[in-house]
Amino acid sequence: MTADRLERSAKPPRTLAERLTTFDRRWIFLAMGLAIVIPLLYPLNLPFKPSPMVIALYDTVESLKEEDVVYLSVDLDPASTPELEPFFRAVVLHLKRKNIKIAIGSTWYSAPPLIERWVRDVVEPPQGIPGEDGYQGAPDRPYKKNADYAWLGFREGKEAVINRLGSDLQGNYSGRTSDGTPISSIPWLKDKKRLADFDLVILVSAGSPGAKEFVQQVQTRYSIPMVASVTSVMTTDLTPYYQAKQLLGLAGGMLASAEYEQLVGKPGLGAKAADVLSVGHLVVILAIVFGNIIYFTSRPGGVRWLRRLRRRGGGR
Amino acid sequence: MPQLVSFADIAGYWLGIFLTFCILSFLYKDNPFYKFAEHLFIGVSIGFIIIEQYFSTLHPFLVEKLADKVWLALVPLVLCLMMFTKAVSKRLSWLSRYPLAFFVALYAGFAIKTVQADLGEQMKLSMQDLDAEKVNINTAPEAQLSQLPGLTPPVAKQIVERRAQVPFEKVDDIGQLDLTPGQRDLLADGRGSLIGLDAKAAARDGEKDLFRIFSQVLLLLGLLSSLVYFYFSIEQKGAVGKVSRFGVWILMIGFGASFGYTVQGRLSLAIGRAMDVLGKDKDPLLADRIHGPLVAIVSIAVIVLGIVLWELRLRRAGKPPVP
Repeated sequence: MTADRLERSAKPPRTLAERLTTFDRRWIFLAMGLAIVIPLLYPLNLPFKPSPMVIALYDTVESLKEEDVVYLSVDLDPASTPELEPFFRAVVLHLKRKNIKIAIGSTWYSAPPLIERWVRDVVEPPQGIPGEDGYQGAPDRPYKKNADYAWLGFREGKEAVINRLGSDLQGNYSGRTSDGTPISSIPWLKDKKRLADFDLVILVSAGSPGAKEFVQQVQTRYSIPMVASVTSVMTTDLTPYYQAKQLLGLAGGMLASAEYEQLVGKPGLGAKAADVLSVGHLVVILAIVFGNIIYFTSRPGGVRWLRRLRRRGGGR
Repeated sequence: MPQLVSFADIAGYWLGIFLTFCILSFLYKDNPFYKFAEHLFIGVSIGFIIIEQYFSTLHPFLVEKLADKVWLALVPLVLCLMMFTKAVSKRLSWLSRYPLAFFVALYAGFAIKTVQADLGEQMKLSMQDLDAEKVNINTAPEAQLSQLPGLTPPVAKQIVERRAQVPFEKVDDIGQLDLTPGQRDLLADGRGSLIGLDAKAAARDGEKDLFRIFSQVLLLLGLLSSLVYFYFSIEQKGAVGKVSRFGVWILMIGFGASFGYTVQGRLSLAIGRAMDVLGKDKDPLLADRIHGPLVAIVSIAVIVLGIVLWELRLRRAGKPPVP
């Protein structure tokens, strides 16, 4: 027996409180890993219902008329795509099947490569083929660059850019789309001089600058109809704007994206993830309960307190 | 389109999976695989920022403008160069204060606008009439109906069509509409006299929405008590202390909601990576070509083997183990 093992064997047996406080947190990571992977491999198809904020967003988009023009600001980075890509896909399908023109812009330098890929994958080819991938809804059609949609590009400047979008959108993009086409040559876009000229502004935001700055800098000043899909962490910050009708609809996080997919009638990435979120949240809740048990048992007299409680409950 | 994906793209997906597990290996402890992925990420990010900023900002707004002899573009260039004086010379470092002052003034101007959006509009919201009536399903607009519990936009549309012919006598009559089984289930779930459909909707004017009245009173009390908590000019004891305590509870509920959403956000990140590794976010044909789960197992095996060898090497060299 080595000296180390001798020393360990000489130690008195550890109490429950000691054992719990030295619990290896990596077991929780493992549990969380399994909670994510297993429902992805074996979907449980747990039910979920659209929340009022997401329904309001859907209704706002639904109220648009054919040939209306929306400004879609995509302000995100690769880290936020799991939360926001499902919404982007669903809202673009929603807009396309209503035959609405889309002008896309961004205030995040990391967004253009993602947007250009999504434009190729989602905006240009048809997405809504009834019966395919469980889609229930009207079919959409292929969208052509500058004829049906325009990718205006990224502009650095954060709030300064958002301000200028409110007063001089075309000047902000130097009068050209990202491929150099003059905006004045695009019939449906040439008269849209500022954000207030659009029928709706849709924000897909992962942080700052994003939905909050759009509301602060231009929405309130110009009374622009605006809806937003944001990451989970931003939701509580933006909910007051929804309550005050500064945002006409709000989708917060991955689950809200799944809800929007459900309303549009095409379950996609968000719907696949909804199961995992439910199971993952259950693990977090159990971890919080477990952490509290550790806390109470590690307090002086904590275990005695538990024993006393057990005795009372058990009638011993 | 999967058939157009080149081998370089496939190798890119493999590298992504390998790097994901390199980063996750930090859960064991700090190790060379984690360090490699971390340094690679920082290097690639900085390279990307430089290229993106040059082509989207510096080139169109400085290089092209100067080439077109728009000399006004020299102003931001000079301001930018002034920022660097701090790093170059102690004697000239005072020059860097001017561009900083310019930016502080600019953003202070933008911040003033937030007063209207954040304070003005939110004050308006908190000063609503405390009296609230139920939504009348015979007169409310379709958008308002679709936001009621248990009602979806198609059901709201049916309500509007039906009431144009025969007005509703009671909320129960919604069940007589031609609903799909899903819509009927949702409607049944949404019923309830406390916070459900029955609490918020009626077939005539004048019925009170008690829950909304309670919500608005709670909003007002929560707002005022939270403000009292941040009022430091009087000692927070007695009645003031109790109100302040209530404010703290309201704040804690807010923080709890934020925490819940933060958990959801972090879970979403993990789900995103898991979907990528398992190929659940890709076209099935492309996922079959990538073999994500197999690449994941190989990556884990390589990393585990590498870490074991690294630990053995540390032990043999007599170096203390990395905590």
